[in-house]
Amino acid sequence: MRSFTPEWAQAARAAVDAGPTRDGKLPSYWNWIDRARAGYTAVWALGVRESGVYLVLTWKDGTCAAAELTSDPSAADYVLVASQATWDELRAGADPGRVVMYRQLRLERGDVLTFFRVIYFFIESLATLSRLET
Amino acid sequence: MTSLSDVADSDLRGIRDLDIDDVLAYVHRDLKRLPGYTELYKRYLRQRWDVYELDFSQDVVDWRERMTQEERDAFVGISAGFHHGERQVEVELPVFMLGGSEESKIYMSSQIEDEARHTVFFDRFYREVVGMPGDSVQDVLDASFEHVSETFVGPFGLLAYQADELRKDPEDPAARVRYGTTYFLWIEGVLALSVMKITLTYCRERGFLPGYYTGFTATCRDEARHVQFGMRFLRDSVQEDPRLLLQIHETLRTILAINGAASRRLALESLGWTPEEVRRLMIRQLHMKLTDVGIAIPPDIQDMVARIEPELAGG
Ligand SMILES: [Fe+2]
Ligand SMILES: [Fe+2]
Repeated sequence: MRSFTPEWAQAARAAVDAGPTRDGKLPSYWNWIDRARAGYTAVWALGVRESGVYLVLTWKDGTCAAAELTSDPSAADYVLVASQATWDELRAGADPGRVVMYRQLRLERGDVLTFFRVIYFFIESLATLSRLET
Repeated sequence: MTSLSDVADSDLRGIRDLDIDDVLAYVHRDLKRLPGYTELYKRYLRQRWDVYELDFSQDVVDWRERMTQEERDAFVGISAGFHHGERQVEVELPVFMLGGSEESKIYMSSQIEDEARHTVFFDRFYREVVGMPGDSVQDVLDASFEHVSETFVGPFGLLAYQADELRKDPEDPAARVRYGTTYFLWIEGVLALSVMKITLTYCRERGFLPGYYTGFTATCRDEARHVQFGMRFLRDSVQEDPRLLLQIHETLRTILAINGAASRRLALESLGWTPEEVRRLMIRQLHMKLTDVGIAIPPDIQDMVARIEPELAGG
């Protein structure tokens, strides 16, 4: 299964909906994520800079209700883009927090403050979907 | 008790004898008056210190022979958030310099240099005392990254993304105020000053790490200028356009919402602190800035402040 294919998009939706494997971090961290996710409704578009393909994930009341691939992310609340090399690094296990810190993944559209109110939920979802077996 | 003019005028040799509480008092003394940008720039020219003058030879002995493994682990864990924090505040600052008055830009050049020097300070400490390997600054950052908490990306990733937002229009007053709230009020005014108090009190009480003590106390004195600049900037912004107060509030709501997601246990006890003491220290640091500068906060934010959890990083 190659990443950014329809099959992969469905697997990504199922994986982020199931949530991250809870290991190695304190319960306070996972509890925070549960609170951030509860009732969360927003649309994330995660794109590859070179190909212009976006994975659009629709969160509705804390559930990841839909995933699709598109070249037009204009319906998303938050549009984030990284290079193919960064996606490859993430798949190889690069720390997603570090990728955000070094702005290898950029928020190209969307409100920065509301995006960060769920930041660890986003980071763990990113880790989950970017490391799917491909 | 040293006088606050000793804090202002000491060279590196004199800084070694200063008490962190006096330096923190020095940070806050001018908050009610808030010096102008040119005065802060002049002060920078007098207070600038040479990071390569620091002598870490006794620190190496203390680190290897006098500190316990537990103390070393706690110290590395807490300082790693500062090592990466200094780098982050250094690289995110130039975009802020693009906006504001000419006086503000001139002052900003000095803070960018300060933050770069602080990054070198931690690079030297990790390389020479902790013994982390690396040919470049990035190598040492990469070596210390495993000690950085997962929740570092909360405030520091926020700053990176706010810097990106500001890059689109460096003169946008609302974006500048949001960025300034994260950088000057929270990261510098609360997080950094709290870590300084914790690690420097430990060094002083135990008589350990004189090179680290000297450099980090000098860093704290630099922080006085940074925080005073920042509070002046926020106060003047709100006086010019009272609606900008809402931007401070919205930013604080995000910052306080992401506080409290601790992913790792901080071994504060081995440095002589309880989590409750750190919590109170952070709340006090935030309150002092808000009241001195006259930033009123609504009840929902007051409730969030009362629930602040320990979070150790800085820059
Ligand atoms: Fe600073
Ligand atoms: Fe600094």
